[in-house]
Amino acid sequence: MPVVQLYLDRLQKLVGKKSNNNKILSKIPFLGLDIEEKTKEYLRVEYSPNRPDYATDFGIALGLQGLLGIKKGMPKLSIKKGNYSLKVDSSVQKIRPYVTSIVAKNGILDDETIQQLISLQEDLHFGIGRRRKKTSIGIHDLDRIVFPIKYTTVTKNHKFVPFDSSNASSITEILEKTEVGQQYGSILNNSSKVPIILDAAGNTISFPPIINSALTKVSTKTKNLLIEVTATEKNAAEDTLAVLATTLQAAGFQLFSVTISGANNSTPLLKPRKIILSAELVNNTLGLNLSSSMIANSLRKCRIDAVAKTNKISCIIPRFRFDIFGPMDLVEEVVLGYGIENLKPSLPTSISVGQKNAITKVLDSLSLIMIGLGYTEALNSSLVSNKIQNELTNRSNSEVIQVIESKSLEHTILRDAIMPGLLENLSKNVHEQYPQKLFEIGTVFLKANPIREDTHLAGISAHKDTNFSEIKSILQSSLKIGFNIECETKTSSNPIFSEGRMANILVNNKIVGVLGEIDPKVIDNFKIRVPVTAFEIQLSGLIFD
Amino acid sequence: MSQVLHPIEKQIIKSLKESKSSTPEKLVESTKLSIDQVRRGMEWLKLKGLADIQEIEKTFLRLGKNGLDAKNNGLPERKLVNEIQEGPKSFEEIRNVLKSDFNAAIANAKKNDWIQIEKGEPSSKISLKGKALPSPEEKLIDFLGAEEKLVNDIEDIEALTLLKKRPDFITENFTKFKTISLSEKAKDIDVDYSTGAIDVEAKVPVTYVARIHPLKETINEIREIFVSLGFSEVLGNLAQPSFWNFDALFTPQDHPAREMQDTFYLKDMKASKFATSTQINQVSRSHKKGWRYDWNMSEAQRMALRTHTTCVTIKHLADNKPDESRIFSLGRVFRNEKVSYKHLAEFNQVEGVVIGKNVTLRDLMGLQEEFYRRIGLTKIKFWPTFFPYTEPSLQSMVYNDRLGKWIELFGMGIFRPEVTKPLGITKPVLAWGGGIERIAMLKYGLDDVREFYNNNLNWLRSATKCQ
Repeated sequence: MPVVQLYLDRLQKLVGKKSNNNKILSKIPFLGLDIEEKTKEYLRVEYSPNRPDYATDFGIALGLQGLLGIKKGMPKLSIKKGNYSLKVDSSVQKIRPYVTSIVAKNGILDDETIQQLISLQEDLHFGIGRRRKKTSIGIHDLDRIVFPIKYTTVTKNHKFVPFDSSNASSITEILEKTEVGQQYGSILNNSSKVPIILDAAGNTISFPPIINSALTKVSTKTKNLLIEVTATEKNAAEDTLAVLATTLQAAGFQLFSVTISGANNSTPLLKPRKIILSAELVNNTLGLNLSSSMIANSLRKCRIDAVAKTNKISCIIPRFRFDIFGPMDLVEEVVLGYGIENLKPSLPTSISVGQKNAITKVLDSLSLIMIGLGYTEALNSSLVSNKIQNELTNRSNSEVIQVIESKSLEHTILRDAIMPGLLENLSKNVHEQYPQKLFEIGTVFLKANPIREDTHLAGISAHKDTNFSEIKSILQSSLKIGFNIECETKTSSNPIFSEGRMANILVNNKIVGVLGEIDPKVIDNFKIRVPVTAFEIQLSGLIFD
Repeated sequence: MSQVLHPIEKQIIKSLKESKSSTPEKLVESTKLSIDQVRRGMEWLKLKGLADIQEIEKTFLRLGKNGLDAKNNGLPERKLVNEIQEGPKSFEEIRNVLKSDFNAAIANAKKNDWIQIEKGEPSSKISLKGKALPSPEEKLIDFLGAEEKLVNDIEDIEALTLLKKRPDFITENFTKFKTISLSEKAKDIDVDYSTGAIDVEAKVPVTYVARIHPLKETINEIREIFVSLGFSEVLGNLAQPSFWNFDALFTPQDHPAREMQDTFYLKDMKASKFATSTQINQVSRSHKKGWRYDWNMSEAQRMALRTHTTCVTIKHLADNKPDESRIFSLGRVFRNEKVSYKHLAEFNQVEGVVIGKNVTLRDLMGLQEEFYRRIGLTKIKFWPTFFPYTEPSLQSMVYNDRLGKWIELFGMGIFRPEVTKPLGITKPVLAWGGGIERIAMLKYGLDDVREFYNNNLNWLRSATKCQ
């Protein structure tokens, strides 16, 4: 989950005079923010990925104003008509067809504000932007730009001075040599032409979704901003712009429109939506009996405009709240505005009879039998390493099921047997008192159409006198006492066991498992210093279907 | 003073009171105990400070191969004397009889003053000087005989030194002996020889019990609680098509949670028949409408290790469409995370679901409270949170006294209409769940979640079962 750093002084100023730090701290969790770290000066809070507006203290302050009752209802965007225009060339349609934009003027950018805006931009890039694939953002110093500007395409020979550089580079060089080029270049699919934003003076403003130009770099001296969002989907572009516009307005900027035209693009309206919420849905879902006006008031505390009518509440949702899909999302807003702490837990009245799954019952009984036989239960991962599963055990498996890009070397393949894990357990316990007897019941995986999951039981015994007879006797007893199943053992060959001291387990002439004395080489591979015997049996199909 | 003693100890003390000092062998004779019992008893008495045990080393001697030969056939010098009993003989005659012993025989016979040598030509002659009485060495050989004798019992040390110089005449044997006597402390003890009481305070060896894995205990406990709250268990596969793990739960196909960084996908594995065509059509339409993108069938077919048990409950609800039901699903789930003291790549999760016409968020909170109360957690509160497939969503926090802070436990919520409607589920569905290891860590006081899967026998054998 993403994290934002909040300086308490700053936050308190943003929330307003009527607040104080204690009030703010007590309400933070009720915005859905988890406090990760708390010092005298600042907080670090985790916010939900569906609320990118909480990526800055400006957005969080808007939320706190609502819950604290300082400002309620929707933070309305006030966009004045601007004298700026952006023309879109149809050549962008095949590669990145949409652009949207707004101008924010007369603001103050201190270091912390710039920091907050950068983290908002990063969050939007990652979340709704799907790592810049769907949307990407450029924030520019407006005063360096000559209008009208143009969103078009250029060849890879096109040169400009990229952000944080003093020399001009070609598009090819940027894609090949810079970190952002290498990381995000694949979004452009090797297209021979790439998207570009140029101003009327022919200067490059931005090369989306890769990098801005050095020319329009924002600093603490910047007063006026141009925001542009390019996208593969128009709605996502305007959603993104709405979050940025709302945040900048909260940061003290005045918003001006940018007139956009060409190739199915248009000037963004960032209009709020209307949803009608029924009081019945709210009360039935929450188990409350709230009046419509109470519901409307709760919604306004969540910065949503709401007007109560007889049994319905007419709601106006600001554009940046694209996490709200429909009435049920508004029910949650009512809970937050009403206060979770005011919700009294109750128990459902209906009567219901519960039961364990039949398979669980059978496996529980089997566990108790193994324990009665002196075996202690072990638990191992079903996602294992090839080294333990196959190499150290001398087993070979051509049908290994692999996971893709595991972050851990110990978890790369799905186990097809339990026994190797038990050997590994013995290996880690050589300094503990013998005899050591372990069992495990668990899922194993086999390639089928596409995959078959079976439940296996394996038992293992390690001490100086263990032998084939001992382990066969344990196997026999567990099946006989548990399920009145008689089994036979017929000689076979398997490299995990000693030649001539191993067998297949047969029930009704069908092979259901193996048992034997573990081969001394395998014992040695696991650095165990006493003889080991083991059995493994497939339970699916034997004691349940 | 009285002390509880083992019958073995009592018998040894009794014997020692009679004989003052003894050895294990003598004690075997006097007490009729076995040598092992005597040895054990001596150890116990020593540990209790009731006996003094001294260890001494003794040297035993016996005749070697040549020594035994001399005992039967005489020393070389005696053979020489026997040869000349009838009259003097020449060097040549004697040498023919004694062969390699000749030189030694001459030298020792001269030393014993048994013979005299007359020089002459062609050969000198040897004749008897007197009666040739037995030499000290012969006396010692006789004394030793075929027996083993303690070196301290031998009087003529000079003869022993001489015999030792002869090769293979004497073999030595060093043996350690224990002697035991009662300590000062023991002398004050009143031994009650009549009762069969034993030392109940003595330490005994540890017996290890075979048992259920401690994590499994917690799993079983949680399962029992769900059953007692009226929930029935449903099982499902660990490997699932992305459709049930993600699509059916309204997680868009390009959502970051579906990326390989978080989810284990199975290499080259695609599901073919995994849902009805209605289910697939409705889910894909819901995605197109809600998320505005082109839903891709092959993305839904990719097999993944389930990231939650919700895929099992949602499929159960979609297939059975109950109007009223309480079900739960419990089992392993997987996350492609770096394993650490906080995170495992594979862990257990439980999820409970209530479907019914009149169920509410407050009911969900109440069930939650009741569940926690039954595992012994009473200080709980609820916070808002976000889950992609529930709305409203809540997070439960429980207070842990040992850590002195609030801990995030189970999450909960009501399934979104975007999840339920496409699958034909018409009644509200309350759902809650979370990781079981976190609860087990609280229960067993562990700070490292990996310990559950280390199968460290020392811990498995010693962790307290009932807590």
